[in-house]
Amino acid sequence: MIAEVAALIEREAALLDDRRYPEWLTLFTEDCLYWAPVSPEMASPREGPSHFRDDRQIMMVRTHRLANPRAFGAEPSPRTLHVISSIRIEEESDSEILASSSQIMLEYRNRGRFEDDQRAFGSRVRHRLRRTSDGLKIAEKRIDLINAEAAFNAMAAPL
Amino acid sequence: MTTATSSLRELVRSDSVHRSVYTDPAIFDLEMERIFGRAWLYLAHDSELPQPGDYVVRHMGTQGVILTRGKDDAVHAIYNRCSHRGATLCAFEKGSATAGHQCPYHGWMFNADGTLRGIPHPGGYDGVIDKADLAITRVRTETYRGFIFGNLAGASAGPLVDFLGHMKTSIDDLVDRSPTGRIEVGKYQLRHYYRANWKMTFENLNDTVHPGFAHSASVVSAKAVMAEVGQENVVPSVGMMLANGKPIQFFQDLDMVTAPGGHSYIGGHMGADYTPDTADAYTAALIAHHGEERAKEVLSVDRHLMLLYPSSFWHARYQTIRIMRPVRHDLTEMIGYTFRLVGAPEETHVNAIEYCTGANSAASPVIADDLEIYERCLEGNTNDAREWVPMSRGLREVREQDNTRTRSPSTSEIYIRNQFAAWSEYMGSEYTGASA
Repeated sequence: MIAEVAALIEREAALLDDRRYPEWLTLFTEDCLYWAPVSPEMASPREGPSHFRDDRQIMMVRTHRLANPRAFGAEPSPRTLHVISSIRIEEESDSEILASSSQIMLEYRNRGRFEDDQRAFGSRVRHRLRRTSDGLKIAEKRIDLINAEAAFNAMAAPL
Repeated sequence: MTTATSSLRELVRSDSVHRSVYTDPAIFDLEMERIFGRAWLYLAHDSELPQPGDYVVRHMGTQGVILTRGKDDAVHAIYNRCSHRGATLCAFEKGSATAGHQCPYHGWMFNADGTLRGIPHPGGYDGVIDKADLAITRVRTETYRGFIFGNLAGASAGPLVDFLGHMKTSIDDLVDRSPTGRIEVGKYQLRHYYRANWKMTFENLNDTVHPGFAHSASVVSAKAVMAEVGQENVVPSVGMMLANGKPIQFFQDLDMVTAPGGHSYIGGHMGADYTPDTADAYTAALIAHHGEERAKEVLSVDRHLMLLYPSSFWHARYQTIRIMRPVRHDLTEMIGYTFRLVGAPEETHVNAIEYCTGANSAASPVIADDLEIYERCLEGNTNDAREWVPMSRGLREVREQDNTRTRSPSTSEIYIRNQFAAWSEYMGSEYTGASA
């Protein structure tokens, strides 16, 4: 089980790093939530604003936009590297698995601004995975950035 | 660059502004002293400090201040600085200090109003100091409908209502939308920053011509998604991105209202409406509070963002306020948060939260593009070749004018000219010094 879960979490990150967004979207359920709260205390995106709280449609817009040359906030295209460790299964039932992992995403955009061009995002990520007829899918990906409360500059690359 | 007051006024012309206002750190320092040191700045809402001892730390330009609700129930504002060695008294943005503020360095104790209550080891001060001389400097505050504003110029500033002028109607618009007459601050704040001048946000947020270009990527992408999922299934946040793709005539027909002091708002909101169920329940609650006629009047106010120069951005329809924190000439933070209309369906607050997320997150596809543009403008304006940045769009398009406000097409850059008229007035007069 842990091997199956780890494989999915690692595959998800690899698809992001390879910018294979249409394939990345297929890993999620139709009713999915992709969420980066502004505080680890938030229990639901209905409690307050978030860095993002995407449903599938917003994820579609976000990734479609990354392929658009007029997306200034994403030009030049960000290059990312996800480093994942400590994958654990927190809860499981017949239909769902809650897995957590520690993730660092390095992001680089070549804008000629020296060290400002590379950023590091550290987070505790929780995947709520659902067993479907189509295999294990991501129903929710919650990203608790260690600096969730902080101000961020433009974030174009999906975490 | 000389910064004599006469030459500062010369940086602003009727149709253009000198690029140094965005790029010169010396001008930024003067802006902090003369604009942020003189204007009324929105600090907090009453509901952020419900109990005696509750405090929040806010910035007024580059100055850190503490607002504390005292035992007398009044909210007091003081500089965040111990009068002994200068350490900040509060390290956190909010908390409770029912016993007063104690300096972490030598334990000096201060009351909410800044008076020095005690020194733990007073012996060495016998006959040396008068505690009254060591009170922390207070900041003058005034409140309008529960919103607390501060002014670093103290007694020399005019009353808050004069500063707000016609713009107080946009604050009324926010509070009057509550079916109980009460609003409550949301628990969480959302922040972004960018490496460019603070004025870029003021000049961008009511610019109705840029969305069709700067945000075309998200418009194109939102349209592609709409084609895939079907128009009737589009979620509100995607609808908000689509609004940026409205034809320019839509914005030409809307009004831009400008008022003395650099303030402005756009008539006509753009974006997501409540679901029919929410709208029905909300309207019924509003009628119960206001009566049918007044409720109709409240709901008929249709405005987009109100820019209260030089430090806050108000959206009554989506109960969101954003506060600007200028850090350096090339570094700016924006802090956004929502309000709950007490007595309205919870869904109305969720609607506000969605707006706030879309309008103030660095991860919003729309805002990410704006931030990139701000930084490009700073970089571009440090390149030589042209000294003057035009702000002449709509110069001859004023629709109506009286002494409280001017109405123009929303595509006009009149709101930028109006901001620089205020800028010039603040910057071009000698500093008289703060007197709390």
